[in-house]
Amino acid sequence: MDTVTTVTLYLPEPLRTYGGGAELLVSARTVQALLDDLEQTRPILYRNVCDETGAMRRHLNIFVNADNVRDLAGLDTALEPGDVITIVPAVSGG
Amino acid sequence: MADRVMLTIGTKKGVFVAEASKARRSFALRGPFGTGVPVYSTLVDSRGTPTIYASSCNPFFGMKVLKSTNMGKSFKETKSAPAFPKDDGRALVNIWSIEPGKAKKELWAGAEPASLFRSYDAGDSWEMVPGISNHEHARKWSPGNGGLCMHTIIRDGNRVHLGISTGGHYLSEDGGETFSASNTGVGAGFQPDPYPEFGQCVHKIARHDAAPGRLYMQNHGGWADWTGPGGPRPDIGVLRSDDYGHSWRSIAKGLPSDFGFPIVVHPHDADTIYVMPLEPATRTCPGGAPAVWRSENGGDAWSKLKKGLPKKESYFTILRDAMTIDELKTPALYFGTTTGQLWIGREGGEKFECLFDALPPIHNVKVAVV
Repeated sequence: MDTVTTVTLYLPEPLRTYGGGAELLVSARTVQALLDDLEQTRPILYRNVCDETGAMRRHLNIFVNADNVRDLAGLDTALEPGDVITIVPAVSGG
Repeated sequence: MADRVMLTIGTKKGVFVAEASKARRSFALRGPFGTGVPVYSTLVDSRGTPTIYASSCNPFFGMKVLKSTNMGKSFKETKSAPAFPKDDGRALVNIWSIEPGKAKKELWAGAEPASLFRSYDAGDSWEMVPGISNHEHARKWSPGNGGLCMHTIIRDGNRVHLGISTGGHYLSEDGGETFSASNTGVGAGFQPDPYPEFGQCVHKIARHDAAPGRLYMQNHGGWADWTGPGGPRPDIGVLRSDDYGHSWRSIAKGLPSDFGFPIVVHPHDADTIYVMPLEPATRTCPGGAPAVWRSENGGDAWSKLKKGLPKKESYFTILRDAMTIDELKTPALYFGTTTGQLWIGREGGEKFECLFDALPPIHNVKVAVV
């Protein structure tokens, strides 16, 4: 039986104008499903996070609670109800 | 009545706008806008209400197009930026040129990886131009040091000239539906074949409405001493075409170096052109003494313009879109440096003066009288 997995997506300041605020409630069972949801419901926000091939922009990191998804199962990382998903720009530039 | 001179200055840290009266005694600086984000292309669109466009190449969140309708007092993002179709497989990296199209709200944008996009609603939506973006050569082009960029778009009725680094010069004679590589006489120094069909590292192309058929090109020079396969290829860096870009010949004789990035045509004299020769190895001013070189006879002879410029210890680079000229009766030349200086060359470059001394590294300078 399907159950709804509602997680909180926390956006960095530059993306809040596209997301309507700092936090969004999203129903998704994996990080990829969360991104797919954004592509459908908030395409401009999505385009800031992923390029037109669907790849996550390389200077962004996504954390599930305290863990970077690259240390978990990447975009296939499973989500649990109540998880906090945070998008963070990498420390880079000059 | 057009009475204000507007400069747009695209930098590593956003876009600045500088405004002056037609006397150009002093410029008031505004910005940066798109703060902290590199800007490689700007356009002051003087058709109707003056509108400034700037590409904002955000390394974190992707490409944006910024737009100002109040003379650069504030900017907003357009509703979208150029993007490849989802099934294309390429992702947009940067926008290197924004040019006005035929219709009032039509814009053309040259992008990286090399591709062309068109908007019919002042930048709110964009479509890829397949004739060049999906050209049979497109997947064979390779990036130069700046990336695989389409940096020059010149429209001339149904003719469209494109400059691609490294791809070469491409010409359409049907309004942009189809394109052909048109590089006869354009040399390449970084491969055994000195004159390939395509793949040249064109740096910039310029033309003047009063000289139909004539084009000037700053190509990637600096190969006079090459001793490998194909032999030396001197003077391939500065070129001219007199047949709408179908063939090209060198006009580099007399310059201290045939390497450089920008090439600019005088607004009232199609025979007068400006280049900024650089040392090919370092891409900085020869001997640390910057100078603009001007030809007043279409490239047959060159003279050095240096009054007011540093005489020594200046090792900056002037990038491909960082030199321009205004259209006033006695025009002023402008160039920006990778060390963040913006220079004005009054009286067509006779006397230089530093307008701003410590901006971020400058990628792009455009000017319009509005």
